Amino acid sequence: MRILIIGAGQVGSTIVEALHEEHTLTVCDLDAPRLAGLSHRFDVATVEGNGASRRTLQEASVGEADLMIACTSRDETNVVAAILSKAVSPETKTIVRITEDEYLEAWRERQLDIDFMVSSELETAHAVTRIIGVPAARQTDVFADGQVQIVEFDVEENAHAPEVLSLPLREARIPQDSKVASIIRGDQVLVPRGDQRIEAGDRIIVIGSPRAAQEWSRILAPEHGRVDDVVVFGGGRIGTAVARMLLAQRIRVRLIEAKREQAVKVSEELPSARVFHATGLDPDFIERERIGNANAAVFAMRDDPKNHYAATMAKLHGVPFTIAVVHDAYSGEVFERAGVNVAINPRLVTAEEIVRFAHDPRTLQVAMLEGNRFEILDITVRETSPLVRRPFRDLPMTGALIGAIVRDGAAIFPHGANELEPGDRVIVFTESSRVQEVERAL
Amino acid sequence: MTTPARLRRAVRRGSLGVDLWAALNLVGTLVRYLSLAFLLPIAFAFGYDEPVLPFALAALITGAVGFALEAATRGHRNAGIREGFLVVALTWLFAAGVGALPYLLSGEDQLTRPVDAYFEAMSGFTTTGASVLTDIPSVDRSLLIWRQFSQWLGGMGIIVLALAVLPRLRVGGRQLFEQEAPGPEIEQLAASIRVTARRLWLLYIGLTAVLIIVLIGLDVTGADRRMSPYEAVAHAFTTMPTGGFSTRPRSVGEFGAASQWTIALFMAIAGANFALLYAVVVRRRLAALRRDEEFRLYVALLALGSVVLTLELVDKGIHEGEAALRHAVFQTVSIMTGTGFVSADFVTWTPLAAVILIGLMFFGGSAGSTSGSVKVVRHLLIGRILRRELDQTIHPELVSSVHLNRRRVDERTLRAVVVFVLLYVGLFAVGALALMVDAARTGLSLSPFEAIAAAATTLGNVGPGFGFAGPVGSFEPFSDVSMVVMTLLMWLGRLEIIPVIVLLTRSYWRA
Repeated sequence: MRILIIGAGQVGSTIVEALHEEHTLTVCDLDAPRLAGLSHRFDVATVEGNGASRRTLQEASVGEADLMIACTSRDETNVVAAILSKAVSPETKTIVRITEDEYLEAWRERQLDIDFMVSSELETAHAVTRIIGVPAARQTDVFADGQVQIVEFDVEENAHAPEVLSLPLREARIPQDSKVASIIRGDQVLVPRGDQRIEAGDRIIVIGSPRAAQEWSRILAPEHGRVDDVVVFGGGRIGTAVARMLLAQRIRVRLIEAKREQAVKVSEELPSARVFHATGLDPDFIERERIGNANAAVFAMRDDPKNHYAATMAKLHGVPFTIAVVHDAYSGEVFERAGVNVAINPRLVTAEEIVRFAHDPRTLQVAMLEGNRFEILDITVRETSPLVRRPFRDLPMTGALIGAIVRDGAAIFPHGANELEPGDRVIVFTESSRVQEVERAL
Repeated sequence: MTTPARLRRAVRRGSLGVDLWAALNLVGTLVRYLSLAFLLPIAFAFGYDEPVLPFALAALITGAVGFALEAATRGHRNAGIREGFLVVALTWLFAAGVGALPYLLSGEDQLTRPVDAYFEAMSGFTTTGASVLTDIPSVDRSLLIWRQFSQWLGGMGIIVLALAVLPRLRVGGRQLFEQEAPGPEIEQLAASIRVTARRLWLLYIGLTAVLIIVLIGLDVTGADRRMSPYEAVAHAFTTMPTGGFSTRPRSVGEFGAASQWTIALFMAIAGANFALLYAVVVRRRLAALRRDEEFRLYVALLALGSVVLTLELVDKGIHEGEAALRHAVFQTVSIMTGTGFVSADFVTWTPLAAVILIGLMFFGGSAGSTSGSVKVVRHLLIGRILRRELDQTIHPELVSSVHLNRRRVDERTLRAVVVFVLLYVGLFAVGALALMVDAARTGLSLSPFEAIAAAATTLGNVGPGFGFAGPVGSFEPFSDVSMVVMTLLMWLGRLEIIPVIVLLTRSYWRA
């Protein structure tokens, strides 16, 4: 597939990294040194110029591209680039990255001729709320409109979970509607057959319903409990989006914003949130407002060091679970090393979402776990697939696992007797090296 | 504060910030049109073969005064936002004067004192319903219908009516509308104020017509033979504006249970926000009622008052069964909406009942209704302001906005609500004190409780008080000074204080 990528920033280069092996890429940016750096690392063509100009698009031969991804940091540039690209070459599919919800609304109401739109804020907020929903998780992702959830757990060395630990999997009391997809012990990846056991210190990947995911979280880390009191630092767009989603899940939200006007704006937008006008770095304030009593804190301020400082302070005051929204490419590692439980980079989240769409058109969503070791595919089963209409128990055991079937909009968590039907959407967990094989089989 | 001498000097110097002449010119126009209102009592006088002359003369005088005001201020036609306050305040003073003319001209024995006649007229236009009459059946029916009709005109507002029909008020009407319409914020039903005013009046006329038909229906079907067509019209005229004047000495208590229930229902409707009623009746959005926070609290308060009063009446054995419920509901609705009809003489009820009824006088109906007093929405907002204030005492950094019906309420509006309630309580206290002092001066036997009730009932545009001014009594024993005090309270209460008080500030008059 020929893909034209407008914007070579963090999002653009992450997309390039994910797609360059399988596809022919052209990258367009205003910044020549950036392009040079990218073309040194990957085998891609580059065009210097403004992506929102017709001349540049033609120079980058948008007409030959199957897909155009506009992912600069400026919404207007991205939207204009997509609209121009549709005008010049109606066949080319378009993906646009945006930050302003306004465009998303217009797109959903079909007022913008764009094939796919990804909102950084919304995707980040989704990522944060998913993690808060399953606090013991290292990483989690949802599929099929939230009906299927994949969660990665670290089983603590001192974990006490007699239901599932140290028992052969076929005897373990695994929560209903869920499956263990993989067990990672050190560098080893174990295929979870019936005689396999989960041991303390393992890292496991579970696929199942969101309820089952919460149940797993409760079994493996009962001390986390249910999160019902969250403090959000920073009332910018991401902070507000996170707060709104948490409130929708009936979680109590306190939001701290340093700018007065912004705080007032948030309090108007979210009447059920408690909004404070404070820096969040003042220990007196943290103490007085009992911030330490919260189950979790989200740090969504503009500045990475400030987030870092505030997160450490919150930990000191007793907040057990901290999630930071990081902006710099390397901050993630710094934060996690420093004791922040989860660091989320909006640009990476956005890039991942765009890559999902750029994959096989039949594949609705993909996610990557453990770096790039595993992928989760959402594939529609073809009529001619050799796996159709055979009971699950007869299917060959490989490195891939069908975690869920979405049939007529409802999720089914398959047992031995279930069969695949053509047109089913299946959520497949597989090692990255087997992706092509799985896609061919289905 | 501005003294008249200073004002005169300022007018002469031309350094006045208000175009006094333009304001008077507009008042003249409004007064002139008010003479048309006498057509109705004239028709009744012809019909009942009663003297027509008082009304014809009153119409002539009204027209002449209006023309004279216009002529004296010819060429000053650009009344703006500033003048709006003055126009509204003066128009209502003039309207009460106009309303008093037939009382004086008819030579009715009970209304010979000009102070009494003016009080009765002000009580009419402000939809209060307090009366100096002691012997209602002896009064001409055409004069009584004028008394009822003045309440009906004042209910939706004479200026709102003028906005709907007078071409002259096509511009700058919003300001006038805001000063006269009750409630902290006005809800526009249409893009233009003119169309909004028209729709409100049409809805008002429509509801009145429905009530007349229902009441006549009660007579025709035999459900209540005492409700003659004349009584139906007369009481519909004072139910929809939550007025409370009656043509019967014992008010609605003289009619049957069916009439009392019907009138209670329509009083409750009249106490609801007309913009909301418009959405329900015309746009058929019944769900709007359930979503409106003020309406929910309004209904809850009515229900609470009714239940407590019913229990008290049954417990003390004053009424029982359906009668207890009916009188409790009727009196709760009547007093809370500021109508002031009575189904039973509540002065003879218990002290607890009296306290509840006095308390209800301070609630009022909804904003944008025809009712008086503080209004439910202000209580709602005051509650939220207080809660926020306490919250911020504990959490100084908390930023919080007050919402109503899921919309943020402007801080300025909130301040205006607080100021209004302060002024309301202050005026009530000053009024009650003035009545007590004056009663002591004249040797009138007036208990503090009765003085409080009289001040609350006039400022809240309710109607009956306690003691001799109770449901079957009259305000006639009060001295002239007390009558003037209560007349001012009614005027201030109807215009919701601020447009009048503003006129007493220096900054209003200065350029």
